[in-house]
Amino acid sequence: MDVDSYTDLMPIILLGVVFFISAIAMLYWSSKRGQLRNFDDQAKTIFTKEEPEGEISDSFPSKY
Amino acid sequence: MSTAPQSNSQSVNPYSSQDAAERAELSQIDASIRSSALFFTVSAIFWLLAGTVFALIAAYKAHEPSFMGDSALTTFGRMRSAHLNAMALGWGNNIIFAVGLWIMARLCRSPIRHGGMLTIAGIFWNLGLTLGIAGIIKGDITSVEWLEIPHYATPLLAISYALIGVWGIVAFKFRKGEHVYVSQWYILAALFWFPWLYVIAQIMIIWFPARGVVQSVTNWWFAHNVLGLWLTPMALATAYYLIPKVLGRPIYSYYLSVLGFWALAIFYNWAGVHHLIGGPIPVWLISAGIVASVMMVIPVIVVGLNHHMSVVGLHKEVWRSPTLRFTVFGAISYTLVSLIGSAMAVRTVNEVTHFTHFTVGHAHHGVYAFFSMIMFGGVYYMMPRLLKREWPSATLIKLHFWGSAIGITVMVVALQIGGWIQGVEMNNSEIPFLEIVQNTMPWLKARTVSGVFLTVAHIAFAVNFFWMLFAAGAIRAKQGPTLLDSTSEEGAA
Repeated sequence: MDVDSYTDLMPIILLGVVFFISAIAMLYWSSKRGQLRNFDDQAKTIFTKEEPEGEISDSFPSKY
Repeated sequence: MSTAPQSNSQSVNPYSSQDAAERAELSQIDASIRSSALFFTVSAIFWLLAGTVFALIAAYKAHEPSFMGDSALTTFGRMRSAHLNAMALGWGNNIIFAVGLWIMARLCRSPIRHGGMLTIAGIFWNLGLTLGIAGIIKGDITSVEWLEIPHYATPLLAISYALIGVWGIVAFKFRKGEHVYVSQWYILAALFWFPWLYVIAQIMIIWFPARGVVQSVTNWWFAHNVLGLWLTPMALATAYYLIPKVLGRPIYSYYLSVLGFWALAIFYNWAGVHHLIGGPIPVWLISAGIVASVMMVIPVIVVGLNHHMSVVGLHKEVWRSPTLRFTVFGAISYTLVSLIGSAMAVRTVNEVTHFTHFTVGHAHHGVYAFFSMIMFGGVYYMMPRLLKREWPSATLIKLHFWGSAIGITVMVVALQIGGWIQGVEMNNSEIPFLEIVQNTMPWLKARTVSGVFLTVAHIAFAVNFFWMLFAAGAIRAKQGPTLLDSTSEEGAA
């Protein structure tokens, strides 16, 4: 590819850069909001009183 | 939570609490998305069956070109593209809209607002897709892989997607609690990534085409990222929700799950350019794509390790659960397909696999063995909770699982062995091209056989699903482990 025509690739390169920056911005936001602390506790937020930790909640139906 | 001893059905029943107030929140969330999730799941299953028919025709024509050869409507190119779009945008997107939004709403503990509008947006999505696939079969297909839908259908798809995606973002905005679980990260990011990819690709290739090879770069940036930044995060979000939820055990390392997400978010975007190795584009751009592809080994190992360690010691429970049987198959496939994909991006390997059936096998490994199997698991978990009925037939679930598992394994192994031989032979200038084509025949026939297994599996899945949906009275009276609170006032909706 001719060096002069590298400019044709600029839109896709710029999009990639914007994409990368947006991911870094999300990471910064999550860090500021405390999402990257207390991992053990955060893993348990999936469980609720209705669906508690320690209970298996799925198996094959018993008939047929 | 009730402290009374629980029966078997109660002990596995998320609605087992006798305290109606404790059940209320999840029931309300499930009820808020029930109609739209059912609509999307029904649509997904119709597209799965339609896509299977297109696939069977295309697979058979690959070794018997005269089959249905009298009609232009059923030429290989049209059937193959109709299959791809029916599976990716019909089955894939509809099941994502159903399972992904349901998981998002549950994790946000936020009911879906104005669910009727979501269903209407879904109707337009499926109308746009029907128009697009009819256009492909009619002959209005574009020449761009993964973007074959004719231009007159794509605006409807883009607008209706925007309306659907907004619901997930709104649920996130109104979430209760500050913490964002890793599944929410994956879903939220994918809801932004997909419209970004789709609209940019449409603008730069279809509506206002860029010049020359920039179209190719954009094409593979889009096509590879649809797999990596749309289907992959949605399937991983589902796995990260289902595995700990079903087992009642937190994910092995939450730290690793977060690391895996951010590595995907930051590095995956560049990987698609490896499809153009050897093409007329700057070498540094391809090299950047190769580096990004190989760096994906990090999140893949992280996710694989996390999933594996989360089920250690509970393998019997995994096998007893329809949800986890499919989900864990998908999770194992994710590790395998991703490592193979990283290897395929290395130049010396790509010189063999490029332009062969190996790549076709790899695509099916990712979209079916990984993505679809996890989404099947999601449906098996979601439906009893939406309808408060158990699945009517364990036999049909097993038929679905074994048909899918055997079918996709045969397909991937056949296409990748056949494709590797094909690649080695194509690099040998002394072998005539026609002889190489002839040598692929046994592997292509094996693919058709695998398609029969998959067809049986999909029919079993559809029969069980619609049996569950419509035979309400008969199923509601049954007792069993997945029966969800037969005494609930809401009963079968």
